[in-house]
Amino acid sequence: MDKFRVLVVDDEEDFLETIVKRLRDRGLETHGVLSGEKALQFLEGQDTDVVVLDVRMPGMDGIETLKEIKKRKPGIEVIMLTGHASVESGIQGMQLGAFDYVMKPVPLDELLDKMRQAYERKVIQEEQL
Amino acid sequence: MSGPGKTDRLISYLTAILLFGAAVFLIISGNTVLGLGALCLAGLSWFTSRRLLRRQGKPDREWLLDERLLQTQKLAAMGELAAGVAHEINNPLAIIRQEAEWTGQVLRQAEIPETPQLAEVRDSLREIVQQVDRARDITAGLLNLARKREPVIQKVDLNRLIRDMAALVEKEAKASNIQVIRRLQEGLPLIESDAPLLRQVILNLLNNARQAVGKDGSITISTRQAQDRRIVITIADTGSGIPPELIRHIFDPFFTTKEPGTGTGLGLAISRGIIHSLGGDITAASRAGEGAEFTISLPLRPETGVRHAATA
Repeated sequence: MDKFRVLVVDDEEDFLETIVKRLRDRGLETHGVLSGEKALQFLEGQDTDVVVLDVRMPGMDGIETLKEIKKRKPGIEVIMLTGHASVESGIQGMQLGAFDYVMKPVPLDELLDKMRQAYERKVIQEEQL
Repeated sequence: MSGPGKTDRLISYLTAILLFGAAVFLIISGNTVLGLGALCLAGLSWFTSRRLLRRQGKPDREWLLDERLLQTQKLAAMGELAAGVAHEINNPLAIIRQEAEWTGQVLRQAEIPETPQLAEVRDSLREIVQQVDRARDITAGLLNLARKREPVIQKVDLNRLIRDMAALVEKEAKASNIQVIRRLQEGLPLIESDAPLLRQVILNLLNNARQAVGKDGSITISTRQAQDRRIVITIADTGSGIPPELIRHIFDPFFTTKEPGTGTGLGLAISRGIIHSLGGDITAASRAGEGAEFTISLPLRPETGVRHAATA
């Protein structure tokens, strides 16, 4: 699987720094931002394949952000990441077109696996167009 | 299953006539788009009634197939009309919500002395916003129902997908003393399907099961490969079950057994649409007092019509 471009969105700075570092270490072109608003700004300017999105954030929450991303860039695949499993928001997320809804903490390899599948889906979708 | 009765036909014709009336009214009052939609539905309804008449005397099996085809056509037409209505309604809803919020803002700025009446007004505004959100849930569901999401076919590890979704539901289930039991057949082959769509269906069914049980009970989710190689998923709960007279409506749009306001009645209709689009089938069985069981069967790969993944 070739390299793909990832954006991680999480308001917890420590978590964000570490995961960005680890994903870069695995050879992925990774960026991190601290809020939904910043994520939308980032996506305007930079082509991205997969977004890893925290559900609970102050300001624009994960569900709102997902909705906006899917409206503006429907091709981008989004993996929702949550510290508090909520079935309600899980259903909402999947209905809004998220690729997956994953509970924290998640082993990096497992997350990477899901990210690869999400990227593969994006590629297939682009081929179908 | 027996053929349609006299009343069925009567209702069908009556629906057609009513829809014609609605179409005429809508077109006269200037809403051409909705009017044309209603006209299409009316035509379809008339056509259905004619076919029902002609079908009298056909053998059961043939009748069943016909019925399925009609159901699909009807749903597609209804879906399109519903999506149109949902779009039209969303705009006024947005305005109502915005005005309610603006009124609240003005009230705060006006610095009116705190009185019981003021509290009452604020309460009322909050309720308006809440009900708008409820209506928006319904329109969102309608749009989701009508949206033809082309499945994207990838290799899917079904057991893993189910484990993930079960873990998500388990936390909330445990809080109500509901056990989530997994009986997953090891070594199932990977299937070619659409993982996000399947997640939506499984999560929806698990959540329904949890709500049906309420508290103290269990949900059992199992997978196995059937003789014909298809993969069968069952989700069974120990809730109060679905009465036999209701079970045949359980996948109809807007049909719900939940308390008013807690469900849109679209979840199972959407789920069925998804499963059919993946070449699968979904059925429900229940005996009152003994819980309900939903069964999904999925092909190892969807038949022609759905494009395949290039990846191995």
